[in-house]
Amino acid sequence: MLVIENVTKVYENGFVALKGISLEIPDGQFVAIIGLSGSGKSTLLRCINRLIEPTSGRIVWNGLDITAAPDDELRVIRRRIGMIFQQFNLVKRASVMSNVLSGRLGYVNPVYSLFNYFPTQEKARAMAALERVGIADRAQNRAGNLSGGQQQRVGIARALMQDPELMLADEPVASLDPATSHSVMKYLQLLNEEDGISILCSLHFLSLARAYADRVIALKDGKLEFDGLPKDIDEDRFRQIYGEDAVQVEIH
Amino acid sequence: MNRTPSPASVALRRLLIVISVAVGLVVFAYGWSVTEINFDKPQEPLRQQNFGNAIRELLSPDLLERDYEIKVGSSPFLVECKAGEAAPAAATAPTDGSPYLVVSPTCADSGTPITIQGFNFYPNSLARLTWVANDGTRSIQRIVGNSKDNFVTDDNGTFNVQISVPKIRGSAGKISTIETQGYFPTGSPHFTDTTSLVLQKMVETIFLALIATAISILPSVVISIFAAHNLMRPVRISLGNLLVMVALLPVGWWIGTNLLAQLGHLILTAAHGGTAVAGGTASLLIFGAVTSSRMRSPEINPFNGRMRSAFNTLLVVLVGVVIVGVLGVAGIIIGRWFSDGILGYVSRFIGSLGQLIELLIVPLCGIIGAFGLASIGGALTTDGLKKIDTTTQHVVGGILGAICGAILLGMMALIGMQAAWLGFLTPIVAGVLGAQLLPLLYNKLSGKKQTSIAGRSLDAILWWVGFIAAFAVTFLTLNMGLAIIEGTLPPATSVTTIGFITISNYLAEAMLIGVVLGGVGGLAVGTKANFPLGEVLYQTTRTILNTLRAIEPLIIALIFSIWVGIGPFAGVLALTLHSIASLAKLYSEQIESIDTGPIEALQSTGANRLQTIMYAVVPQVIPPFVSFTMYRWDINVRMSTIIGFVGGGGIGFVLQQQINLAQYRGAGVAVLAIAIVVSVLDYLSAAIREHYV
Repeated sequence: MLVIENVTKVYENGFVALKGISLEIPDGQFVAIIGLSGSGKSTLLRCINRLIEPTSGRIVWNGLDITAAPDDELRVIRRRIGMIFQQFNLVKRASVMSNVLSGRLGYVNPVYSLFNYFPTQEKARAMAALERVGIADRAQNRAGNLSGGQQQRVGIARALMQDPELMLADEPVASLDPATSHSVMKYLQLLNEEDGISILCSLHFLSLARAYADRVIALKDGKLEFDGLPKDIDEDRFRQIYGEDAVQVEIH
Repeated sequence: MNRTPSPASVALRRLLIVISVAVGLVVFAYGWSVTEINFDKPQEPLRQQNFGNAIRELLSPDLLERDYEIKVGSSPFLVECKAGEAAPAAATAPTDGSPYLVVSPTCADSGTPITIQGFNFYPNSLARLTWVANDGTRSIQRIVGNSKDNFVTDDNGTFNVQISVPKIRGSAGKISTIETQGYFPTGSPHFTDTTSLVLQKMVETIFLALIATAISILPSVVISIFAAHNLMRPVRISLGNLLVMVALLPVGWWIGTNLLAQLGHLILTAAHGGTAVAGGTASLLIFGAVTSSRMRSPEINPFNGRMRSAFNTLLVVLVGVVIVGVLGVAGIIIGRWFSDGILGYVSRFIGSLGQLIELLIVPLCGIIGAFGLASIGGALTTDGLKKIDTTTQHVVGGILGAICGAILLGMMALIGMQAAWLGFLTPIVAGVLGAQLLPLLYNKLSGKKQTSIAGRSLDAILWWVGFIAAFAVTFLTLNMGLAIIEGTLPPATSVTTIGFITISNYLAEAMLIGVVLGGVGGLAVGTKANFPLGEVLYQTTRTILNTLRAIEPLIIALIFSIWVGIGPFAGVLALTLHSIASLAKLYSEQIESIDTGPIEALQSTGANRLQTIMYAVVPQVIPPFVSFTMYRWDINVRMSTIIGFVGGGGIGFVLQQQINLAQYRGAGVAVLAIAIVVSVLDYLSAAIREHYV
């Protein structure tokens, strides 16, 4: 259970990205976060694992107060929260295997890891993760040589190495073509259904949210605009969230 | 923009152009006269001749030479033919093939030309004619139509020259001898002594550059992390934690230099195989125990975790000292193994590393102790500092701030006592503290945060007022004006006694100012405040690097040659220092330009800071680092060619010597060697860089 209480974020330049967001996300839910660019989707996701420090408010996850955790505790909490990114955020020069193994850094012996040593069982875990996302054969390739969809799957495999209970996905398909988008979303759905990992995924397209999410949260100018089932978003709701001039675009 | 400019503004712009051209002309003309450009001296014939000779000799490097043997062909000659006295007979070819001369006629009056033919000389080699008078006086003869006193034989080893019979008193009617010394090469061409010296010094030069570059890599990499804004900006620490750590640094240093250094010495003095091996094994076992105790994943149990991490740090400190000691011992022992050959080099090298550790054991232990204790203290007080209430926070902040201020300014004053102008450090640091303090106090007292433009400019004004006030107070209190004008050092004799501690007035005053500034600051913000540690480290590193880079390696070499003596070692030290300053900057700029995505991704997985750097930063920066290092080696080779001019060793020494002795042919060899090595390295480094980027 992830509880977000009255979280506000004011950036140093004075921009207010989040205005008192409160949410409760039960375990195992697939939640889509929609909204225009700049509505605070990325900020909200990053506040959850404190890649961005919230200005005020509390975030409690399974009874652990994330916002109050000191550095070393925060690292322990972060280990169980996977994250994937719009730009994949892989080290392009490194091999796929090395990128995936780096997802396990929070667990392995820090001294050994500095010498690039990973125990055999961790390497086996990495291969298993790559097999789950279907690119075990590319393990020794340079990450930068893979296609966008494959890179995002490496990103998912890296997050899987954390043995996550919660997965944050920041626009995971925004840089991908429609067909690849669906394949990546299907992997997320698989993790949600098979492993019971809660997923918090920000999306641009409402159609994707409708296809995959159990619940949709809409943000507008840093405020919670809508929180409910995907099917409840009708034409009026849509205009409320995206503005009067918006037209629904389907992605198939 | 379709607005046509008014005629007035067009005229004004033209006028401005004319004025700036005129000003530019004046500046250029002034520069012309300052740099003493004049065309009178170059037209003096003597200078032109010297210049021509110098260039000619530089371009005829004294690279190769041959050994010669001189063989003589001679022929008798009667000065003034007299009736009745027979002229010497013309020589015939000797049977052994040795050189001989045929003179015709074989007698003549002084001043008449005679023809001399030589045979069996070495083809195309030098020869010289000597007239040996009847009384044995020798004089070299110039041949007709040649200004030099030697000539060259033809392809067959023969020559045909004319001389006029010299007038020598008392030689008339007597038999003189004409001798020709011919140069016969023996053996094949070989390098001159100059060339051998140049080659030897060139090897020294290349290695000088290589060693300086190699030594500078590791420090530069470490420093570049502190000089990279994107890595350092997010590093913040609670002020209370920082103050505890800083306050513990001198205590840790004391423990390190006194207690830990004893341990280190103990190991070093036991430089006998058995003890060292046993110690080494033991320390490796302990190291293994520590690493495997860290193998277990951290738990969410703060206090336990902290106790364990404090204990771990203590172990790491002890093991660290043991390892340093054992490494030193091992180095010293290995250093004695071999004395010559390749193994001798290696063994001497390791031996001198061991010696280095032996020399530095006390400061090394001090550093280990200081940071170890600071880290333990920081870990143990984190929770305590978090629990205290607001009033206590400010009181504790004030006390700790006063201690840390005293430590900071005391350290600056200690450095400042070494030289008059180093004294500026204390007021500058005090000024920076004051500059931070004044806007902070104002905002605390007025109770609002400045966000408007007016408020920010007020902050800026307060910043400068604070800086100038703290600077001036410190400057006057420490009576620095006198020190700077007279170039004297603060008197160390006038001392203050507090209890059983005796320190100089200068130090006490500086520390007192630190107590006031630090105490007030700490009192105002309290221990919970966020301190931008990264930003401070970044600014400090950048300032030091910029200062260091502004000092030319030639000057650094000059200073080091006073310390370590004239020779390549001084050059290595100078180039290393300069390379660290410039490589660290180049490296840090590379780090600043990396893709930050992977950093974010690794942070989100729960990796610690060091792991994030190793896995997200390092793979991205290795290729540019390699390329910059090659480039630096290239620069170092260029610099090491002239660093010998100031006593830094290498080929510059030979070059300077030859030029001072006006041996331009020898200098030519050095110049040639430099040109070849620099262009080859230039090509190599370009090729390697192209491969990597």
